[in-house]
Amino acid sequence: MSSCENPNTDKDALMTRRQKFDGQTKICVKCKQNTGNVVVRYAVYCKSCFFLLVQTRFRKVLEPSINAVPDEPRRKALRAVGSLVIGFSGGTSSTALLDLVAKTYFAPRTIGDAKDDAALKGGKDHPRNAEKGIWKGNPAVCYVEVCGAFPGEKDRIEEIREVVGYAGKPFEYIPLRLEDAFDPNWWDRIGGGNIGTSARILGLDLSDEGLRLVHSSSNLNPHDALRMYLSSLPTQTAFYSAIQILIRILLLHTAASRKASHLVLGTSLTALSVNLISGIAQGAGFAVAEEAKEEWNPRPEQGIKVRVLRPMKDIGMKECAIWDWWNGLREHGRGKNAIGALTRDFIYGLESDYPATVSTVARTCAKLTPKEGSNGVCIMCERPAQHGVQGWKARISIRSYHEASSAVSGKSRPPHLTEDEISNLTKFPVNSSSATSNSASLTARLCYACHTLLTSRSSRGTSSNPAGNSSDVPLPLWVHPTIGSADAGNPVDNQGEADEGTRSVKLSRKDMESRIADFLLPDSE
Amino acid sequence: MAPRACALCQKGKAMVKRPKTGQQICRDCFFYVFETEVHNTITQSNLFKPGDRVAIGASGGKDSTVLAYVMKTLNERYQYGLELFLLSIDEGITGYRDDSLETVKRNQEQYDMPLKILSYDELYGWTMDAIVSQVGRKNNCTFCGVFRRQALDRGAAILNVDHIVTGHNADDIAETVLMNIMRGDIARLGRCTSICTQGEDTIRRSKPFKYAYEKEIVMYAYFKKLDYFSTECIYSPDAYRGHARAFLKDLEAARPSAIIDIIHSGEAFEIKEEIKATQKVQQTCKRCGYMSSNELCKACTLLEGLERGMANSGITDRARKKLEAEGPAPDNLRTIPYFKLASGNPTITVETPS
Repeated sequence: MSSCENPNTDKDALMTRRQKFDGQTKICVKCKQNTGNVVVRYAVYCKSCFFLLVQTRFRKVLEPSINAVPDEPRRKALRAVGSLVIGFSGGTSSTALLDLVAKTYFAPRTIGDAKDDAALKGGKDHPRNAEKGIWKGNPAVCYVEVCGAFPGEKDRIEEIREVVGYAGKPFEYIPLRLEDAFDPNWWDRIGGGNIGTSARILGLDLSDEGLRLVHSSSNLNPHDALRMYLSSLPTQTAFYSAIQILIRILLLHTAASRKASHLVLGTSLTALSVNLISGIAQGAGFAVAEEAKEEWNPRPEQGIKVRVLRPMKDIGMKECAIWDWWNGLREHGRGKNAIGALTRDFIYGLESDYPATVSTVARTCAKLTPKEGSNGVCIMCERPAQHGVQGWKARISIRSYHEASSAVSGKSRPPHLTEDEISNLTKFPVNSSSATSNSASLTARLCYACHTLLTSRSSRGTSSNPAGNSSDVPLPLWVHPTIGSADAGNPVDNQGEADEGTRSVKLSRKDMESRIADFLLPDSE
Repeated sequence: MAPRACALCQKGKAMVKRPKTGQQICRDCFFYVFETEVHNTITQSNLFKPGDRVAIGASGGKDSTVLAYVMKTLNERYQYGLELFLLSIDEGITGYRDDSLETVKRNQEQYDMPLKILSYDELYGWTMDAIVSQVGRKNNCTFCGVFRRQALDRGAAILNVDHIVTGHNADDIAETVLMNIMRGDIARLGRCTSICTQGEDTIRRSKPFKYAYEKEIVMYAYFKKLDYFSTECIYSPDAYRGHARAFLKDLEAARPSAIIDIIHSGEAFEIKEEIKATQKVQQTCKRCGYMSSNELCKACTLLEGLERGMANSGITDRARKKLEAEGPAPDNLRTIPYFKLASGNPTITVETPS
């Protein structure tokens, strides 16, 4: 329907642009003394008040979730039950996060500093408390190198090592590689648990939508396994989303192996909004709340519950960049995405015209909760999965008469098919995509988004896909223990413009054809 | 190149690549699966019961033209037992509806369905041309959207129907999910993926094409040789929605399932209970009896602004305060007739196929 056919349009015209700030004064809105240096969401701040603003927002998100019981009174102390792992990408907000964590919780005290001496006298700043950190053990910074997925990309592990150790930051550096997800040595190192022999030799058939598990004959090294897994994915969107999932699970397992209670990520407000919209566009609405804050339960023997926090989620990308710039920090980011990149470009574009959009997206999504009906956890992304997904998919798009047999038989059979023909089609699957009933399939173990990631196709395909063998694709290692332990079961044409104020065009057969031309197959005899 | 066999029946020659699934299928199978999926949507949600009187919101555009055809087909094939009507709203935009209303009138004859055309002028005493001459082009969509919704309900009450079906398709719904997230409209986000909505005392409204891709609707019209008018009102610049629509088209090009994936996401979440508790309780407009979140419904607020020469009072807080400062509405103010659900026979004569 055309846009004005929708009754929900009443607010659209209210989306007017607003000045970046009132323009009447350049005095900092906070201290009301200094000349402002930066505009943050219509308000002018001086440099020192800007630093305070960012640090306050950062602590306001992080600190209520540090103690075992979230949001409990914290007058006495912040005490985490485990250690701290920081997921570091080298990007703008990640760099600001690392700096903020170091300055806020791990800043070395200078003996002799009068102010510090005063602070050391007693209370929570008493020397005996100074010895006790908030988190147990040493904090660690974990970086996942993704060059294995992008041939020709520079390996930045050593570059990041310098950044992490810069200015004597007290962090232990844990470099990982994307291919570790397929490396049994890494899995053993982090205590991932026993993978049965039968599970270890399972591969995935991605040649059709059945997602059958097959006995794998290949014996690839982790790097080749990663390349094969990624190149077998059906879309560019799936390619980049799969990398995001691999990074997230690698970080989670690493955190669990260090008995970490907190994994903090440098997702800024802008990035969070992009992730939320991108996730929703990829069918991950059920797990939308997880995008801002999640708790991940490792296997009992592996570690304690890991709280994944994004302390930069109230700070925009611009503010992070200013923080980095004024603190002399360099960023080392990279990366692009298909639906993710489109979403990012879209949100960035809106942000310049409608600056409040970014925070509106995050605030709106914070008011959402999944509907009832969780089927447990998806074995691919390890996030909550909804039940009834496959039935829903089959109802709204009929992909074979076999799968829709109850709806297409009897009097309601396709009129162009005889009773015998439809009977045969509903009795036996006509292609391998439906031939999953007798063999193990991954389908039932996946959430909607991961199932779509592995099956949804586009005419573009993946750029990196070398027409390889997609019938025996290696799986990330965390999938194996689970499957091993259970049964594998318009633009409108401008011609014909009428009066001023209206355009009413009777569509000719040719016009209609042009709208659907991409989907009509050539008449080849 | 040898012709490809249909991926569904393995018999016919593949003629289309289905936008929704990417499968190459024959024309007959395309018709059949398109109709059956709409049927599945209807039966899964128990939208109708035998004997229901159902009005099809008909604009003469592609969605409603195909909807009328498919509703008639399914009603006969699956014996829904529905009494179908066509209901059109004439906004009063010179030239805008003239051609498309002709399509609707032709549908009335082809499908043998009674037709009711209700105009803004008849109901509110204002045409959109008159409204635009007063408010300009900037906010006129607000008036048109609010007035249309109420006009459809009132037209349905006149026809004494139980149910209105509209041609909103999957693209519209996915776009609305994105829009409501981006503008923070929690109340609408919670209900925009519902197939059926119903106010306290209004007629049920459903979207049987909720899961039908816009491209497939055009494809269906093309192969069935259904003619329609593509009517785009340029009173409606709707820039923000335009942004969302362009974004959705980009997503669809990257991965065609994106439309259905967004709808699935929208169906998978709901508004937190503590947020719901802060939402306004629905009441009845004290002036016209239509459902409302405030003492006066939006249509009455907008109409009062128009009648008192302060059209923006229904748009901005500042203009509303200015209107309130000028005192209460005069007694002789033109108002919308009091809304009540009709019972028994239609209260006015409807055009029936000759």
